[in-house]
Amino acid sequence: MASRLMWASRAASRLRVSVFSRGLATVPKDLKYADSHEWVKVEGNSATVGITDHAQDHLGDVVYVELPEEGSTVAQGNGFGAVESVKATSDIISPVSGKVIEVNEELSDSPGLVNSSPYEKGWIIKVELSDSSEVEKLMDSDKYCKFCEEEDAAH
Amino acid sequence: MRARRVLEICRMGVINYADALKLQEKLVLDRKAGIIPDTLLSLQHPPTYTLGKRRTDNNLLIPLSDLKKIGAQLHYTQRGGDITFHGPRQAILYPIIALREMGLGARLYVEKLERTMIELSSQYGVRASPGKSGETGVWVEDRKIGAIGVRISNGITSHGLAYNIDPDLRYFKHIVPCGIANKEVTSLKREAEVELPAEDVVQDRLVSCFVEIFGYDSTVWKGSDSLVVTKGET
Repeated sequence: MASRLMWASRAASRLRVSVFSRGLATVPKDLKYADSHEWVKVEGNSATVGITDHAQDHLGDVVYVELPEEGSTVAQGNGFGAVESVKATSDIISPVSGKVIEVNEELSDSPGLVNSSPYEKGWIIKVELSDSSEVEKLMDSDKYCKFCEEEDAAH
Repeated sequence: MRARRVLEICRMGVINYADALKLQEKLVLDRKAGIIPDTLLSLQHPPTYTLGKRRTDNNLLIPLSDLKKIGAQLHYTQRGGDITFHGPRQAILYPIIALREMGLGARLYVEKLERTMIELSSQYGVRASPGKSGETGVWVEDRKIGAIGVRISNGITSHGLAYNIDPDLRYFKHIVPCGIANKEVTSLKREAEVELPAEDVVQDRLVSCFVEIFGYDSTVWKGSDSLVVTKGET
């Protein structure tokens, strides 16, 4: 009986380990997602924007983040900044439209926060939304998960 | 089952950096709109120093006023990476490709560009390898033979790789190449023990390595005289 329990728990922990080793990126449930791999956290009329765990993993180590100016406008689907990693600069596309009310200055000294904490310390801009209905065009976490799987399968 | 991947390859000869940049900007928009397939520009530049988005011009070791004297230009670009030199007999490939359709992110894309140069080197008996962490590029021991600087805009790539077949390496003395001090720059001519064929043969071979590593099913080769020769490859 004891040995069967041990076998079961070993199998269970092996299963848990194999889920992590499939490299599933984290996709928080309370956020919305763009197909260009940015996330948005809407709080009332303002939103925080960053890039997803899937995005940072596919980019590699971020060495530089180009931030927009506070007060500038962003538009859904348009670029507003860039990240540099492994000798590649990739533009960041805004998932929402509005005015930039805050940028994450910490990223200037610590661009790696985008990799280590993409949904929290690695946030990029805060936006005052000009059209909160735009958020409905974005994906929820389940749709985004599927989207990432399909994209990776093309490889 | 995935869709058939076609690559259009354009041999451009030696073209000015600014002209190549304009062309790439147009091609990126066309690629994004789906008007053209994945496209690869194969070319060389006249002596040109370029800086990346971070504008690390402290790595240019001569005053700007001296550039003309040595017959070189300087360009600021939006690509990733530090300062580098481009010149005749250095093979340049600028792939304009839709990364998402290939399921590639920046990191994997850059790795495949490195593998392209490593594969080409091995075909002439030269053992090259990717750089250590943070030193993207292709090295023969601790001598750099190939550099990478890429821009990804709306999922479409531009800029690309530069592989030293036999450029005038003295130009590299005027910069801290790629911001990495105390490392030499080298070329295939220097490293290979075999005799090299004509440079355009080597450059075409580099393109073939790219085609193979990126898994294209067929290629369409175009010369600067707009001759279109269709080749199907498995």
